[in-house]
Amino acid sequence: MQYFRILLAALLFFAVATNAQTQQQTVSLQGRVTSSKQTVLDRATIKVNNTVVSSSADGSYSIEGLSKREATVQVSAVGYQPFTRRISLTPGVNTLNIVLEEDAKSIEEVQVLGLTEAQEVNRQAYNVTAIDASKLYNTTLDIAGALDRVAGVRVRETGGLGSNMNLSLNGFSGNHIRFFIDGVPMDNMGSSFQINNIPINIADRVEVYKGVVPIWLGSDALGGAINIVTGNRHRNYVDASYSYGSFNTHRTVINTAVTSKSGLTLQLNAFQNYSDNNYKVHLEAYENRGGNYAESAKIPRFHDTYHNETLITNLGVVGKSFADQLLLGMVLGQNYKEFQTGARMQSVYGGRHRRGTTVMPTFKYSKKDLIEGLDVTLNANINLGWEQTIDTVNKRFDWFGVTTVLPSTSGEYRRSMYKYNNNEGSVTSTFNYALNNHHNFSLSNVFTSFNRKGSDELDPVNAQYELPSKTQKNVLGIGYQYQIEDSWSLTTFGKYIAQINTIGDRGRSEMHNWGYGFASTYFVNNGVQLKASYELTNRMPTPIEYFGDLDNQAPNPDLTPERSNNLNVGMIYSFQLQPDHHFVLNSNLIYRYAHDFIYTRFENNQQRLVADNREGVRTFGADADLRYSYKDWLTAGGSLTYQYLQNMQQIEPGFNGVSPVYLDQMPNIPYFFGNTDVSLFFRNIGRPHNNLNIGYNLLYVHQFWLYWPSRGGKAASDEKKFVPRQLSHDINLVYSLNNGKYNIGLEARNITDALLVDNFSLQKPGRAFYLNLRYFFNKKS
Amino acid sequence: MNIKNAILTIATAAMFVSCGKDDPAPANPGNFIIAVTPAASTGVADYLLTASSLDGGTISTQGQGVEQDGTYRYYLTHNNKFFSMLYGQGNPGAVTVYNIQNGQLTKLANTVTETVQAFTPVNDHILMTKISRNATNPTATWYTFNTNSMQVDGNGSLNTSEIAPGDEIAHFSWIKQVGNKVFAPFFSIKACCDAGFGTAYPDQAWIAVYSYPAMTLDKVIEDDRTSFIGRYFTDGMEEVENGDIYCFSASVATENGKDATLNSTKPSAVTRIKAGTTEFDSYYFDFEAASGGLNITDWLYVGDNNFVVLSDKKADKGAYNTGKTIGIINVIDETYKKVTGMPIESDIESLTGMSNYSERDGKGYIGVNLTSGVGYIYKIDATTATATQGLKVEGGTITAIEHLD
Repeated sequence: MQYFRILLAALLFFAVATNAQTQQQTVSLQGRVTSSKQTVLDRATIKVNNTVVSSSADGSYSIEGLSKREATVQVSAVGYQPFTRRISLTPGVNTLNIVLEEDAKSIEEVQVLGLTEAQEVNRQAYNVTAIDASKLYNTTLDIAGALDRVAGVRVRETGGLGSNMNLSLNGFSGNHIRFFIDGVPMDNMGSSFQINNIPINIADRVEVYKGVVPIWLGSDALGGAINIVTGNRHRNYVDASYSYGSFNTHRTVINTAVTSKSGLTLQLNAFQNYSDNNYKVHLEAYENRGGNYAESAKIPRFHDTYHNETLITNLGVVGKSFADQLLLGMVLGQNYKEFQTGARMQSVYGGRHRRGTTVMPTFKYSKKDLIEGLDVTLNANINLGWEQTIDTVNKRFDWFGVTTVLPSTSGEYRRSMYKYNNNEGSVTSTFNYALNNHHNFSLSNVFTSFNRKGSDELDPVNAQYELPSKTQKNVLGIGYQYQIEDSWSLTTFGKYIAQINTIGDRGRSEMHNWGYGFASTYFVNNGVQLKASYELTNRMPTPIEYFGDLDNQAPNPDLTPERSNNLNVGMIYSFQLQPDHHFVLNSNLIYRYAHDFIYTRFENNQQRLVADNREGVRTFGADADLRYSYKDWLTAGGSLTYQYLQNMQQIEPGFNGVSPVYLDQMPNIPYFFGNTDVSLFFRNIGRPHNNLNIGYNLLYVHQFWLYWPSRGGKAASDEKKFVPRQLSHDINLVYSLNNGKYNIGLEARNITDALLVDNFSLQKPGRAFYLNLRYFFNKKS
Repeated sequence: MNIKNAILTIATAAMFVSCGKDDPAPANPGNFIIAVTPAASTGVADYLLTASSLDGGTISTQGQGVEQDGTYRYYLTHNNKFFSMLYGQGNPGAVTVYNIQNGQLTKLANTVTETVQAFTPVNDHILMTKISRNATNPTATWYTFNTNSMQVDGNGSLNTSEIAPGDEIAHFSWIKQVGNKVFAPFFSIKACCDAGFGTAYPDQAWIAVYSYPAMTLDKVIEDDRTSFIGRYFTDGMEEVENGDIYCFSASVATENGKDATLNSTKPSAVTRIKAGTTEFDSYYFDFEAASGGLNITDWLYVGDNNFVVLSDKKADKGAYNTGKTIGIINVIDETYKKVTGMPIESDIESLTGMSNYSERDGKGYIGVNLTSGVGYIYKIDATTATATQGLKVEGGTITAIEHLD
């Protein structure tokens, strides 16, 4: 509670400070970009003095907090003549609508010049892929679903909506990858606010940093980081969508903001997911389980309901001279999840479930050019929510609902109502100082704290054996960048990570490590960009790895930090083979060597999982992503990833000879996968400003072994377990009316009804259909 | 377009690549089944290898063996079938049943039961028990698995509080059919809070006697000359040719489940229940004295009143440690002979415990896992007290040796 009090005091201080200054007027500029033929131009680049923004889907743009009264406005868009004008600004809101003339030189000669923010991110020296989320707003995807289409990324799920999910990035997975939302670590946000329940509509874009993580994402990622950028591109808008589909799945997302002329703002993001997940699963025949199991069967899941509801509220000011945004917020969330199975289809549950809540006050402050060249961002939050697994049904279920009564004091897996609160908070601060166009200095600090309290009403006696479970972690990063715009850049950085643990009766211990790295890029010409980056990463064991979750994961206080050498070399090549046929090829080679690698295994008495260190995992990998576009109505593309992870632990504990699985390929990790997509865009269908978009997506994952590839026979009678090839086809169709104000989407997932399994035997949904309705309204000026 | 075509072609081609499914015969067909686990620390299943002889040759998990799912498997042969049982972490346990045809394992059934902690053949069944470790739930559940129909055809529960002293509960170290009864030697555990497998009654031995198939409690045989019979997951009771039952006590009771708190004052010893009775008789063989300070951690009956014993020095004693010293005891003569011909103990990583093999012809076969990573099956001759290196096992640790006709 101490941190909470400090946080409250800080919030109060800023609230007072805000109040005192609301009278001050600031300068902003907004408007709309259209062509001389009255069509809306999105993705136009608008540069006002040194600030650059892009126009959104309806052609609108807005720039807040301009410091000078004289401004040079430069606007450019692919296929149009550039626009330049000097204007004088008055205090308050200024409006400038811009009309661009088509370029007489014809569109074929024009290279891709108008870059979206996502494309800008991709041009960084890091091995980074940014997903432009706005293109997916008319789908029912969550963040995880969108990430699954990125080269090098595999999202593995145990079932339908809300099921357990594990994202792997270049072969690293679980806690090796860190998640952020607007640069704030998501570790502490609870099960109600995770990438598999956050809809894509919350995000502006999603950035995937592979292996080398910039310091402003201040955390101790081992293998990379994912940053969800929510952005708030509109001052006054409503974006609401609702979808309904197979397995009684309902999803609602409402994003809205109201902002007064003085800059007072209220932002609301609300979303809800519900599904019965009652899709059919295939069951093997069993000799010993009576008539129901005599033959293989397909039967619906009966205990797999999931729902979550989240409300994010921010109140504050935007576009002030002292703050681009200063927001006090609250994230309220809850989720309910039934467990249908354990780790195998044979373990069927009929009552076991989980509940969780997120109650998280937040504070956000950001200001560009606080003094000229200095950008400041401050964020703080603490999660007061709780998590609980409830297992009180003393019955053994089978797939047909037949139950066997177990002793009254047993649960289905482990009788428990353990409820805990991790009291996790974080404070992040980032300072970025651009000395001039060439030199840039940055400093970032992230402090996180964890202090678990828990009890079980079924076993109150055990409370006295609750031992202190606390960690405090600080990640300090400093960086320097030298760049010559559109020619080359070099960023070097260092990170100092310190963690203090208080683990049960062992008392206090400290650990700290230095990491460092660089990222560099060189633009060979307009079409070719080369990239190289390296980082020595460090990761401290997480609280869950130390303390367990008192349910499925056992504690391991002996864990040591893990570290990894991550190297990326990449190239982006844009070219055209014939007029109108544009290609962008993004290819990367990666190398990783992780030491003291933390992985999860069964503990010795086989009851639970436990995290442990393993010496040495080495990865060589390559991925490529190719995009093709023809004029403005056809795009196609795909990505392909191959990665070879090897076990480098030469000696197993207790032995002095070489381990039989030394240099063996790491099992149970997808190593060859890809996806392709084709999208057709038809304008003015039915009536003007109504557009139709038809898309197809294919996902492919090659078969991989569950256990060590070199061990055991591979004949059918040797029963060597594998996760079979997965091939899934999705089709979607979106009809947008009135330039995207109303949207009707239809989606068909897994249209061939293929049996998809990812975590050995746990089956994912078959064919599914969804209808998605979305309304978008943005009030100008 | 070419690049994209190329990529698409590769992707499409890759989709049609799947592993070859030719069915080669195992490299070593035979009627012995050896379970080998490749790297314990990653929690991977065993591989089942076959061999025609335990006295020589080489087998390896490299590209050979039938994979067994799950981290810990236990094995048993009965009714000329091989049962592979998954210790299921609180989840249901799987049982896979094989027989051997032409020297090759052939799967007969894949079934599901409760996870089990002690199991034994009884008539045509396998009797399995799942034992509580929680004093608030003093119940052991039992199941009978019919080895002909390969179905669970009976179950029930046992009260593990009424047979244990004080507030503690009983945890069966093993169960075994004796005549038409089932004997269940147990250790007493606090099963609460921080003490778990600790006990306040370290100097007593108990055997619960149940009728079969009703599994009703007949009586509890008690003895205060030794600590409890057997060990966790270890069969400490053996019937010899004349029907007498011999029991060993490892003397590894603890105060709170941790080795540092070993609290029994009794030496490791062998005691006896005469055929047809349900009482310990006056027989008492002080193994610790006879062996010069060792304690038994496991044994294998090789016939004619001779046992191959695995034992530990007093300094290395622990509730879950498996000894690396091999000797022969004759329970009639009350003699102990150390076996010669074994590798030096510092080169031994572990010995195979519960699933070693003997035809009760005076010879026993023990799996010896060397720290070099190579394993051998050693033939132990009880009459000469000598060990002879036999079958070489590469690519993992030997966890069981079984045989089918």
